Amino acid sequence: MDASLRPDPLELVCPAGTPAALRAAVDAGAHSVYCGFRDETNARNFPGLNFSPEELEAGVAYAHARGVKVLVAINTFARPGAVEVWRDSVDAAAIAGADALILADLAVLDHAAAHHPELRLHLSVQAAAGTPEAIHFYTETFGIKRVVLPRVLSVEEIARLNREVAIETEVFVFGGLCVMAEGRCLLSSYATGKSPNRVGVCSPPSHVTYGDEDGCLTARLGGFTIDRYGADEPAGYPTLCKGRFRTDNDYEDHLFGDPLSLNAATLLSGLQAAGVKAVKIEGRQRGKAYTAQVVRAFRRAVELVAQNRATDDIQALLAPLSEGGGDTTGAYQKTWR
Amino acid sequence: MPRALPRGALPAAIGTVVRPLPRLPLAIALTLAIRGLARRRPELFERLRSFSERPVAVVPTDLPIAFLIVPAGADAIVEVVHPDDAGDAVATARAPLLVLLGLLDGTYDGDALFFSRDLSIDGETDAVVALRNALDDAELTPAELIGVDGALGRVFERAVGDALRVAWRLAGAPATSMATES
Amino acid sequence: MADIELALGPCFFNWPAERLRDFYARVADEMPVERVYLGEVVCGKRQPFNDAVWPVARDRLERAGKTVVASLLALPTTPRERRLMREMAASVETIEINDMGALADRGGRPFVAGPLLNVYNETALALLQEYGCVGWCPPVEVPLTEVATIAHAVPEVETELFAFGRLPLAVSARCYNARAVGRAKDSCQYVCGEHADGMGVRTLDDQDFFAVNGIQTLSHAVHVAAVAPERLQAAGVRRLRLSPHTTDLVAVAQAFRALLDGASEPSELLATLESLDLPGAPCNGYVEGERGVARLAV
Repeated sequence: MDASLRPDPLELVCPAGTPAALRAAVDAGAHSVYCGFRDETNARNFPGLNFSPEELEAGVAYAHARGVKVLVAINTFARPGAVEVWRDSVDAAAIAGADALILADLAVLDHAAAHHPELRLHLSVQAAAGTPEAIHFYTETFGIKRVVLPRVLSVEEIARLNREVAIETEVFVFGGLCVMAEGRCLLSSYATGKSPNRVGVCSPPSHVTYGDEDGCLTARLGGFTIDRYGADEPAGYPTLCKGRFRTDNDYEDHLFGDPLSLNAATLLSGLQAAGVKAVKIEGRQRGKAYTAQVVRAFRRAVELVAQNRATDDIQALLAPLSEGGGDTTGAYQKTWR
Repeated sequence: MPRALPRGALPAAIGTVVRPLPRLPLAIALTLAIRGLARRRPELFERLRSFSERPVAVVPTDLPIAFLIVPAGADAIVEVVHPDDAGDAVATARAPLLVLLGLLDGTYDGDALFFSRDLSIDGETDAVVALRNALDDAELTPAELIGVDGALGRVFERAVGDALRVAWRLAGAPATSMATES
Repeated sequence: MADIELALGPCFFNWPAERLRDFYARVADEMPVERVYLGEVVCGKRQPFNDAVWPVARDRLERAGKTVVASLLALPTTPRERRLMREMAASVETIEINDMGALADRGGRPFVAGPLLNVYNETALALLQEYGCVGWCPPVEVPLTEVATIAHAVPEVETELFAFGRLPLAVSARCYNARAVGRAKDSCQYVCGEHADGMGVRTLDDQDFFAVNGIQTLSHAVHVAAVAPERLQAAGVRRLRLSPHTTDLVAVAQAFRALLDGASEPSELLATLESLDLPGAPCNGYVEGERGVARLAV
């Protein structure tokens, strides 16, 4: 390919659950970092995680000094009678100097569009906007500049969608994989009473227990058995969509999804050709060691892809960090369905 | 080949040596270290919120001791007890000592260790998750934990870092890019 | 204050055309509901088989004096599914939307926001009202006290409470009925049709937990909002929604009607329903802000 025709590398959007992880991601080569406040406005509301407004301001300064953008996720759905909590988060992110907000709720989008017209708005994956029509609605109504696509589309469908939408698209390429359409899953809420959509935590650690039973590790959520692992069997996240279940027709296995991480490293060039603008790494609940390792590998990969070179060596680098020790390309390949 | 010991476990002989050592001085030293850290960097403990009052047991599976930690900032307490005497804990995290040290200084990722079964958790999972996340943000170095800084701190860091890398390798600890890359 | 109405929600399951025809004929003749939602909400692959059923059923229901609302797909993906969504959205009749994409072509004409649409607060509902929203069925997890907050803030939009049936918990790109028999969605052979109330899912300890219906996951338990009419009225609820199952839905609707007419108590409603052939044990936790699976005393 003629060097002048080479596309820009895919924008690498990296997770930061803590200020330390933000610095690790920036230092490891992130183009952008996403993070959220330490409360229910953020869909990774795990204990001990996330940012105070002061920490966000310091994080933005650190990132901006190194040419890296900070995207703030305020991507849960506001509680009735308490919408101002979400509005305050939007205002706080704007004050802290965020480069863009990642939003899902109509109420929060409305506030941001009306009161912070200078701020870029990204539509969170939690809004599950997977059709040109839905994206068109959010673009027309709130002026969003980018949509994070739900993990239900194949690469071919993403390419077709990009031909029909005017705004940027961002897709997940690595990390935990929601099996259900994001933002439209109440499994954890049904079993625990804590709604991921409303309080920002799926499989809340407060409702997860692990027990040693007959030499097997048994993971439970709200008292419901998610899975049992033999002594040397790799474990998975304690989410119901990765659990092992029985059905009426004598099936017994991971009915919804295998306990695997998403890894679309091999599809990066296809995603770039499909017109995707940015690729996202999941994992704000992971440690800074993980963040640095994955970010470094993917930065190398997006550079190689932009130069039209192979990405095989990426796989070896990432294998030890995958959930259950394995990975999948998920819905990006139609057979996953 | 089946593993005789968990990955990263110390040889049993070390446990035999540790067993008769007095536990109180170690507990006092660790308590003072955490309280000193809380004075220097109070924000680390703010992220623990209500979890700071809940005692968590950290059990090195290759040593006959357990650390009972109440991470209450300037009022933090660390007790060193026999593993059977850690019953006050609301939750317990178990792994070989070298693996725990790697978690403490951020070399290892807690989720990856859990997936690979090198780390196990029981009791109130949220207390362990909160402590893990707060520790990960702390970017604790061995020198910072014991409160030495400057040139002495750097020498100490390097010595401990080198020793840990050698120990991880010798004990066959789980791989991470940081542990395996030089 | 106006009486609380009853509505029959869209059938989530893959029933053969014959069964659907018979079911809606009986609804028209015998069921004490004011409104009926018709259409395939879960899987676009089923649409070609049943699309002929809806006009016939609609005609019959309207002749019986019922208001009929066409329900749209929850997760349109393929060009055909999207085309159908746009056509329905462009029509003049009132529709129930379950994906924001339907709003793009709606042009302000009236619609109902379905329970699969993420409308969680009064600001979001007020915004949809500007786009033509005349009714909404809150996401099933929203507790009654919070439904009331929203209903009182946006009183012009009619509030309809999901009151009976397995709870619709999730949708996915993946078909679990197909997966459970080792097939992919594209080669499913419509195996979901073998489970008229969804396929039961148990934990490894044989605890009933979920039911899968193609790409949809429901609760195994049957949600029953057995709430006294005074309390529903105070919360601004104008209508209760009953979700189709193989259970005798006419009997279910009659039992709810009796409750709303003051002829029975919530506990009697629950007892009546339990005497019917429910696909799962009753649950009601979401009504009171508890976990959905909880069964609280009424």
